[in-house]
Amino acid sequence: MTRPANWTRRAGQAALYLLLTALLMAFMLPVYGVIATSLKSVAEVAANGYWNLPESLNLANFIKVIDPEGGNLGLYLRNSLLLTVPACIFSIALGTLAGYGLGKYSFRGDAMLFVFIVAGMFLPPQIALIPVFRLMNDIGLYDTIWAVIIVHTAFGIPICTLVMRNFFQIVPKALREAALIDGAGEYRIFLRIMLPLTRPALAVLATLQFTWIWNDFLWPFILTQRADSQTIMVGILNLTGQYSVDWGGQAAASLIGSLPTLFIFIFFQRYFIKGLTLGAVKG
Amino acid sequence: MASPQFPAIIQRERLMPRRHKWMTPASFLLLPMLVYLAFVIFPTLNSLVYSFTDWAGYGADFNFIGLKNFEKVFTDRLFGNAIKNTALWLALAMTVPTLCGLCLALALQGKRLINTLYKSLFYLPIALSPIIIGIIWIWVYSPQLGIINIALKAIGQGHLAKAWLASPDTALTAVFIAWAWQQTGLNMVIFLAGLTSVPMPLIEAARVDGANYIQTLRKVIIPMLRPATVVVLALTAINALKSFEVIWVMTKGGPFNRSDTLAVFMYSESFRKYKMGYGSSAAVILFLMTLLIIVFYFRQTAAAEELYD
Repeated sequence: MTRPANWTRRAGQAALYLLLTALLMAFMLPVYGVIATSLKSVAEVAANGYWNLPESLNLANFIKVIDPEGGNLGLYLRNSLLLTVPACIFSIALGTLAGYGLGKYSFRGDAMLFVFIVAGMFLPPQIALIPVFRLMNDIGLYDTIWAVIIVHTAFGIPICTLVMRNFFQIVPKALREAALIDGAGEYRIFLRIMLPLTRPALAVLATLQFTWIWNDFLWPFILTQRADSQTIMVGILNLTGQYSVDWGGQAAASLIGSLPTLFIFIFFQRYFIKGLTLGAVKG
Repeated sequence: MASPQFPAIIQRERLMPRRHKWMTPASFLLLPMLVYLAFVIFPTLNSLVYSFTDWAGYGADFNFIGLKNFEKVFTDRLFGNAIKNTALWLALAMTVPTLCGLCLALALQGKRLINTLYKSLFYLPIALSPIIIGIIWIWVYSPQLGIINIALKAIGQGHLAKAWLASPDTALTAVFIAWAWQQTGLNMVIFLAGLTSVPMPLIEAARVDGANYIQTLRKVIIPMLRPATVVVLALTAINALKSFEVIWVMTKGGPFNRSDTLAVFMYSESFRKYKMGYGSSAAVILFLMTLLIIVFYFRQTAAAEELYD
């Protein structure tokens, strides 16, 4: 490469990164705003505005929104955890069963069945909203976290089946055949040989499912009513009514509600991204 | 394990009647299928039934009223308005976050440390709940304290400042930007995954032949990104159609129903006005639009698979 070409290339690169940095700063502005404001009192927001740096590291807002006498976020956090963890486990367990049935055996209509299950991934929740609302009323689960657990389990089956089926398909056939010859039964093979292999796929699904279920709002919004069964996202929205002028309180609540998924995002990003792009792009 | 069982296995395989072939997979599929049918498929079909009724949402009484609910698309101003807003929302969604995601992916591909860091920050919003996104973007648009109006005043354009979410002309676009803030990161991730499957030698060959970056982009990279583009377009459209939370938090469909999409309309008719039969018909229209996209998506990916195999 000639020298001038190299020079313009470098200048171009520098300009590109300058532009990207400016873009990123604008992009991150809402996140900065929520962090800065969570540390400010109502008086400080009134005096210094929303976007200025806070005067001190004042954690009063966080304490206030967690306090049972204040925002009572502790209760909502507990409900969300009691809902998200079982729903993750159940949906992944059912998806593993279905994925194994579809990935390791071939039978008439297996491809059709697979498409039938995976198509559920794309269904808008709105199409099932009213009947599920009625069903939960009829079977007496309305306004319990179990109603939401069941819905998320069922709606999680498509993605979990997709991931597990793709996973089991690449497990060598010889593994099962060797075990069959050794006299192991089908279920023994599944439990003892196949399940221990699934750890990477389980990690992908756990991060995805946890994030989706934790962040979901529509289902708990429809299916629960009392604070005792409401989730963190519904609780935070309640709080915006209760603290309509207290932006610091709302900001602190928003951050608390986002911590678990941000934690996953930071520490398990590899699995998270893998899940997001899974099956999306060939190769 | 003991080998005496070996002949027994062979025998079992040989003598096993045909109908037993599906027994083992069926035993794995039974429980998941039951749950899936009961709580996903059955409710979906049930919605179709409700959409032909005048059911209020409580009580067991309802009458079948044929296509009356659907006819209201043309007579109920609010229903028609929701469809118009959904079309607008969809058009914005298919273009803005797709192009932004593509540009970011092209600019940030590669393993350089700064790229990795920037990528992480650009897709950080994916980890946030749409509820949180709605709340923090309300503050961006706030008439007095919002950063947009502050910035406008700072550059002497204070007359342009307005209540972005309360003005009929800007509400939908303002909410859309908050929604796109999250979708852009997701699209970037998918485009980045697509870019890793573009063979480097092909790009280098184009360069050696004297193509500049724009030409390489148009003739090599974009065509190679076709599968990723199909995924991005389909996923964005599906996400756009069902998006409810961000709109609900920021405007509840207002002002004057100017940001009232089908997803919001369906909720307010069903759970605010207790017209669940009517709400179901909105849900069914939403579902049919989604179905159209799913069919397009499966056909495109099937075509792509044939092309590559």
